[in-house]
Amino acid sequence: MNFKLVTLLGVKINQEVYEVMIPTSEGEIAVYPDHEPLIALAVPGVVAIRHNKDDGNEKLQYFAISGGLIKITHKTIQLLVDEADHGDDIVEAESKAAYERAVQMRKDAKDQVELDKAHELVDRHAVRLKVAELRRRHRG
Amino acid sequence: MASTQVLKLRIRSVKNTKQITKAMQLVAASKMRRAQETTKASAPYSLAAKEMLASLSRHKSAKGHPLFARRTIKNRLMIVIASDKGLAGAYNNNITKLYAEELQSDVKNGIHSKTITIGRKAAMFASRIKDVDVVGFYEDIPDQPNSNEFKAILDTAREKFLAREVDAVDIIFTEFISGIRQEVKIVRVLPAGFESVDTTFNDEDPLFEPSVGQVLDAVAYRLVEAQIFQSLLEARASEHSMRMLAMKNATDNATDLIDDLTLAMNKARQGAITQELAEISGGVEAINV
Repeated sequence: MNFKLVTLLGVKINQEVYEVMIPTSEGEIAVYPDHEPLIALAVPGVVAIRHNKDDGNEKLQYFAISGGLIKITHKTIQLLVDEADHGDDIVEAESKAAYERAVQMRKDAKDQVELDKAHELVDRHAVRLKVAELRRRHRG
Repeated sequence: MASTQVLKLRIRSVKNTKQITKAMQLVAASKMRRAQETTKASAPYSLAAKEMLASLSRHKSAKGHPLFARRTIKNRLMIVIASDKGLAGAYNNNITKLYAEELQSDVKNGIHSKTITIGRKAAMFASRIKDVDVVGFYEDIPDQPNSNEFKAILDTAREKFLAREVDAVDIIFTEFISGIRQEVKIVRVLPAGFESVDTTFNDEDPLFEPSVGQVLDAVAYRLVEAQIFQSLLEARASEHSMRMLAMKNATDNATDLIDDLTLAMNKARQGAITQELAEISGGVEAINV
């Protein structure tokens, strides 16, 4: 089945895959070929892609995504998000530092606007950090 | 005739200016190239959002969504995109000109307008006009903004529209047509257009999770988001290409000026030499007599 990951800055992935795990507002779903047609909301989290049926967990490809939309038909999955970062592009130490900064910012927030922004940053970096950890665990 | 010393100084100062404008031209050129590439990048995103909207439009509840509601326009919000820095030719002037025209037409039609400015130059212009209701200003947005950076703009626009504080949201920006052609444009982002959607799209009726309403909310939001994002990118590409052109002209002018000044300096020097020779031979004549 064809998986297409579309972000504001262009198409990140457009290829045949076997399985995709996507975080949605109703919980995480795993999509295999010939899935029921569905349009759902994606929430910030980790998308995992298994390219071939026999691939083990160590071959999973990860993306950190922001919220968006998912459109599934029998043969295609389209994932529409603001941003998606490839696991390989995320440096764990950097995201950890960024995450801590965001948490600190949330503590120091003086008004609602700052607090909202800090919340968003915390979520964003938490997801990126998770992707980095997953990648390390699987690839050693 | 000016002395050679003065001319020499002027040539040196023009040369320095030329060096700076040349550097700015090169910087703008490389930034433009990158910005130009990204203007095309968000197209698949809007297309995908439109496709989803098309499959939603068959549902009855879709038509009544508040983000698509057309009301008589009594208040409107304008988002004006200009640059943070000057020296970009007529870039900021063109924007502020259209903005001023729109403000005037609003006054004539009894529409109360609010403004969000993006870029210092737009903020400066708005602050100089009387009776302009500026509800937000944003500065230093990077060339490739991430969604955090412009979400605040999007959310303000959406909230004001949903709360019926404004009946329309327009965005004024410079459309990037090509490296040498950019046009100022005003585009309506809210109410979001339903007609422009191609409904020939046929697919089996999908399920909607969690509900049609919530999915529609998200789709409409993303359509507007893509539109604002696209205008930001185009404005940025236009800015860089106009700055590049302005700086190229400045560099060319400086080259011409240097040529003229060099010519004048050589003439002055030759004049001085001729005069000195005349004086010496005059002196020799006087002694020999």
